[in-house]
Amino acid sequence: MQALDIKPCRLDAKAQALRAEVRAFLAEELKHYSPAERAKGLVGLVPEFTRKLGERGWLGMTWPARYGGHERSALERYVVLEELLAAGAPVGAHWVAERQSGPLLIKFSPEVLAPQIVPGITRGETLMAIGMSEPDVGSDLAAVRTRAKKTEGGWIVNGSKVWTSGAHLAHYMITLLRTGPKEESNRRAGLSQLLIDLKAPGVTVRPIYNMLGEHDFNEVFLENVFVPDDFVIGQLGNGWQQVTAELALERSGPERYLSSTQLYLAMLDEADPQDSRHAVGLGRLAARYATLRQMSLGVAGMLARGENPAIPATVVKDQGALLEQAIPDVAHDLFGDQREPGSDLDQVMRFLTQSAPSFSLRGGTREILRGIIAGGLGLR
Amino acid sequence: MNTAINYQGADDGTPSDLQTVIADSVERLFAKHVTRELLERFDAGHRADALWQQVVDNGLPGALVPESAGGSGANWLDASPVLRAIGYWQAPLPLAETMLAAALLAHAGMEVPEGSITLIQAGRLGDLRLDQEGGHLEGRAVNVPWARTCRWAVVADGQRLALVDLRQAAVTLAAGSNFADEERDTLVFANSSSQATGHLQLADLPEPIWHLGALVRACTLVGTLEAAVDKAVLYANERVQFGKPIGKQQVLQQYLAQMAGATGAARMAVQVALRSASDLFLGAAGNHSTLAFDIAVAKVCAGEAATLAASVAHQVHGAIGFTHEHTLHFATRRLWSWRDEFGSDAHWAKVLGKAAIAAGSEGFWVGLTDRSL
Repeated sequence: MQALDIKPCRLDAKAQALRAEVRAFLAEELKHYSPAERAKGLVGLVPEFTRKLGERGWLGMTWPARYGGHERSALERYVVLEELLAAGAPVGAHWVAERQSGPLLIKFSPEVLAPQIVPGITRGETLMAIGMSEPDVGSDLAAVRTRAKKTEGGWIVNGSKVWTSGAHLAHYMITLLRTGPKEESNRRAGLSQLLIDLKAPGVTVRPIYNMLGEHDFNEVFLENVFVPDDFVIGQLGNGWQQVTAELALERSGPERYLSSTQLYLAMLDEADPQDSRHAVGLGRLAARYATLRQMSLGVAGMLARGENPAIPATVVKDQGALLEQAIPDVAHDLFGDQREPGSDLDQVMRFLTQSAPSFSLRGGTREILRGIIAGGLGLR
Repeated sequence: MNTAINYQGADDGTPSDLQTVIADSVERLFAKHVTRELLERFDAGHRADALWQQVVDNGLPGALVPESAGGSGANWLDASPVLRAIGYWQAPLPLAETMLAAALLAHAGMEVPEGSITLIQAGRLGDLRLDQEGGHLEGRAVNVPWARTCRWAVVADGQRLALVDLRQAAVTLAAGSNFADEERDTLVFANSSSQATGHLQLADLPEPIWHLGALVRACTLVGTLEAAVDKAVLYANERVQFGKPIGKQQVLQQYLAQMAGATGAARMAVQVALRSASDLFLGAAGNHSTLAFDIAVAKVCAGEAATLAASVAHQVHGAIGFTHEHTLHFATRRLWSWRDEFGSDAHWAKVLGKAAIAAGSEGFWVGLTDRSL
């Protein structure tokens, strides 16, 4: 159990002071957003909103000034993230760039790529995509088949990536691929990360429409794409370790439990406090919100102290998805046959009920996460 | 991976030295003495008197009492390893109740008597009331923990507190028990007199024993949840079926991971509530304490985790876990009992749900971040 332990974290006064500033900004910026628009959250792709956050200094908040960062604390950043998500701000355009691409480039290419790319991310101008999964690969990342062959001054890349969110808007894709063969005893060997310019010749981005008919993710085809040597991120052959470190950043943030919040809020406005079914059902969810917030914040505190909370982060994502997916089912239970067609509740419920399956798939499926947790418990 | 990133302002929640000392001593004591034999003898109707004496010799009942009043002066976080250990080892003693009762008496400036003390919140689980001066009690209280064992009861009615000698003629007792065979008795007070009265200064907890009793049960539940996880993981790694340990089966790994995740959530909720309780009792909570909210959250999470964990633990253990011989039932019978006591998860969920509905879409997030719903 100890590998799963999360220590509580208290926000300091500086972080709390920032909260009021963010709330005032969002109250103004989002005042014309309907609940249904707010429900999009992470898949709300609005580059103008992202640029406004950059102007406020709320992108790359913790990064060093030499990369355009603002050198603020991880907890100040946490407050901004949770306020954006709780309010239903359209954060999809910059989310992966700010969460994982920036830190990855700063860590693994501090002298070459980070000075070129990261300042644009902090301004909200440079958008990033993550090329991990492939057709027939899914969760088994060591099986990726996209490969790079050495050539004069760089690499020639061939293959394809799938489920690549925002690739149709992004400027670059951080791509996991093979630069060398698997080893007999280690199929994770020979993997590397390359930065690919999505405007380069040979790159084709095709939309994949999700079951709601919306365009968020894509298939990206790479045909004889030239990538210069400078665009190798970190060490050749170290791709697995780099991706694993990157995924840990992906699993514990407030986006892992807040995705269905607009539906929860719509239910609160329709609920009857005298109806015990309403109070108990919504109260159970309130308790889980309170606890997941503390868990997510606790992991942020552990990251801030330089600890490695890979397993606690995995617990947050698994428990968070349970909450996010419980909310549409509670809405069905309480309001299934008694809501006004076209009402806010109806519209938000329509969107989130159909979005919910993705919450336990993206960023590591439930089964993969629980396998990691089981390892932390000493099983296998 | 973020060595390049600027980190400040993180509160690491490291245990205090006092908490570590308390944890070490209670773990040593219970690991040695709360044996299968002791628990079997307890289930057969024998009180664990020798263990109680050792607990007293270690000063545990007075852990939450200030040093000036003869206790250890531990705050709630410091003393929490005792509550966790009661659950982890399933120690069959009125220790959690006595610790809380003594803390309340000391807080009200009253003397803490020798011996074990039980707890009653007037108006909950019966119709017992204190009269205006607190000198007399009238009415019935059900599911009173350890009433047969305890000489004393502490009764709260609002912020008024009374210490009552249960061995007086005007108190009658009918024995009962929870699923774990722990005493849960019915007491009838017929104009019974109290031996001392006082006032609490815990205005943020309108029903202090009901709230703090829920916190204590949530703490002991977390201890028992951790024991259930440990037992299930141990068994899954040892038990071989179809040529390999059953813990290698993905389906069991999935169950156990979910059980451990729910346990981790309950532990976090309890840690947060303990920190608030420490602040409130130290007078450090300021104008408003988040404790009532934090306790409701903790009891919901601990109760829900108990439901899941008892089910998974038994499924993993198979038939052997359903035998009297195996020790699993000492844990699971307590999970099923304690999730009900001092308000079930549904009870506290209803409290939270009403507050959330009242806050509405405008106020919910503010209430959640302030923990003031």
